[in-house]
Amino acid sequence: MIANSSTTGPLGTEVGSEGQLGLAQTTGRYVVVFEEDTSPTDILGATAGSSNVADSRDFESQAMDMDATGGADATVFAELGIAVVSVDPEQLGSMQTSEAARGTILSVSPELIHHVLDAPLDYLRGYRDGVTDLTGRLGFDDEPPAARGAGASAAPSFADTDQATWGIQATRVSTTTKTGEDIKVAVLDTGLDSTHPDFVGRNITAKSFIPGASPQDGHGHGTHVIGTSCGPKAPSGTRRYGVAYKADIFVGKVLSDEGSGSDAGILAAINWAVANECPIISMSLGADVARPHPPYNQAGRRALAAGTLIIAAAGNNANRPGNKGFVGAPANSPDIMAVGALDPQLRIARFSARSLPGRGGQVDIAGPGVNVYSSWPMPTRYHTISGTSMATPHVAGIAALWAEATGRRGLALWATMVKESQRLGMPSVDVGSGLALAGG
Amino acid sequence: MVQVSVTVDDGHLSTIGIVADALRDRGMDVADVLAELGIITGSVPQVRQSALMEVDGVISVDADQTIQLPPPDSPVQ
Repeated sequence: MIANSSTTGPLGTEVGSEGQLGLAQTTGRYVVVFEEDTSPTDILGATAGSSNVADSRDFESQAMDMDATGGADATVFAELGIAVVSVDPEQLGSMQTSEAARGTILSVSPELIHHVLDAPLDYLRGYRDGVTDLTGRLGFDDEPPAARGAGASAAPSFADTDQATWGIQATRVSTTTKTGEDIKVAVLDTGLDSTHPDFVGRNITAKSFIPGASPQDGHGHGTHVIGTSCGPKAPSGTRRYGVAYKADIFVGKVLSDEGSGSDAGILAAINWAVANECPIISMSLGADVARPHPPYNQAGRRALAAGTLIIAAAGNNANRPGNKGFVGAPANSPDIMAVGALDPQLRIARFSARSLPGRGGQVDIAGPGVNVYSSWPMPTRYHTISGTSMATPHVAGIAALWAEATGRRGLALWATMVKESQRLGMPSVDVGSGLALAGG
Repeated sequence: MVQVSVTVDDGHLSTIGIVADALRDRGMDVADVLAELGIITGSVPQVRQSALMEVDGVISVDADQTIQLPPPDSPVQ
């Protein structure tokens, strides 16, 4: 009826045999995952006839004595809602379909055997190092690694369609259900063209931090990045170019119509956004200064602690392949997220700055930053430009979608962005955790 | 006159107004007290900049950096 468990050798031939390349080794037992707020011990007793059940709660600090529980029909890990069960396959079937188990079991899987991972053979390591050295000397380290062996996928290549820009597609914004609704996104830049038809009906709070100037955008840069981060889902007569199309937009004009600004206005605007509880600040601006600037270190730290994630452009001072550039201020502050730029083949952009060696100076994440189509002051209406300035609002808009989806703020939101980004075959000093992605 | 940002330590955040007064006493023309960030901005004569560091609660006094975007018709911004 109940088969004795065994840590060596399978129960039956159908679960895979030891040593076969490509097949997982199994013990013959099953790992059962239960729904939250159920009682695995009771369910197992009623459905699998497990009379001898070891429960982790029976042990001091739940330190289960594996020697003592070796003969148990089932061992239950109470904190995890998971049990390892010795049953034969017929019993497994009836357990899952029984009335007592209905709605309580999430999954049943064969218990796997794990091994210490082997180190690569020395000769393979030497070969790999030799190839890396050669490609580095030839300046090819910005290219994605050549496909080797099974499992390598074709190089990505995105393009604008009538429906959406390449960046909206690549980041999966085109298929997400999230909108950024009720999330305040502050964009600190040259302002916004308030006459632009694509922003009619939006919740917009605008303030100028340039003495003598209104928040109206007389340059273009601000309207472009606000379009990318928060533009409409279905702009009339053109393709979608914006991410968080229901976000509340906080326009902070910190750069003049000539494109210049200084710390005083930028810090005042950051303070304003934090005071208004904006979860996200997008700053497509920076100075080519390698040393992290103390006021931005403090501003970033305190904003993050208050639940505001500041996202800034890494910088455009590279000229690859030779000159990798460096992350400037404010992006190089430790508590400010620095964004690198990718092209439509998801390679690092020619101008995208590389991480500095010191704390804070790293590129944290990347976004679409080459040939980015977005809004522009009237009558021009739309324009296509490139820059880490364009990658930044993609990431900011996606952060708004994740803030809406998860309720997370500050450092937890940062971690979510990193966790959910698409790893690329590029050095992390250039792309951080990879391409920011929207969720489902 | 030098435009500066004065950063206040965590222990003085709740009394940042007092720090601002002390900075004024030392010759700073205080423009803004950014309470959320713990930063006081304004200007000070170059010769008095180092004196501001002596004020209780001041971690750092930094001259403003400026930002300059490329022109609007630039392909890379």
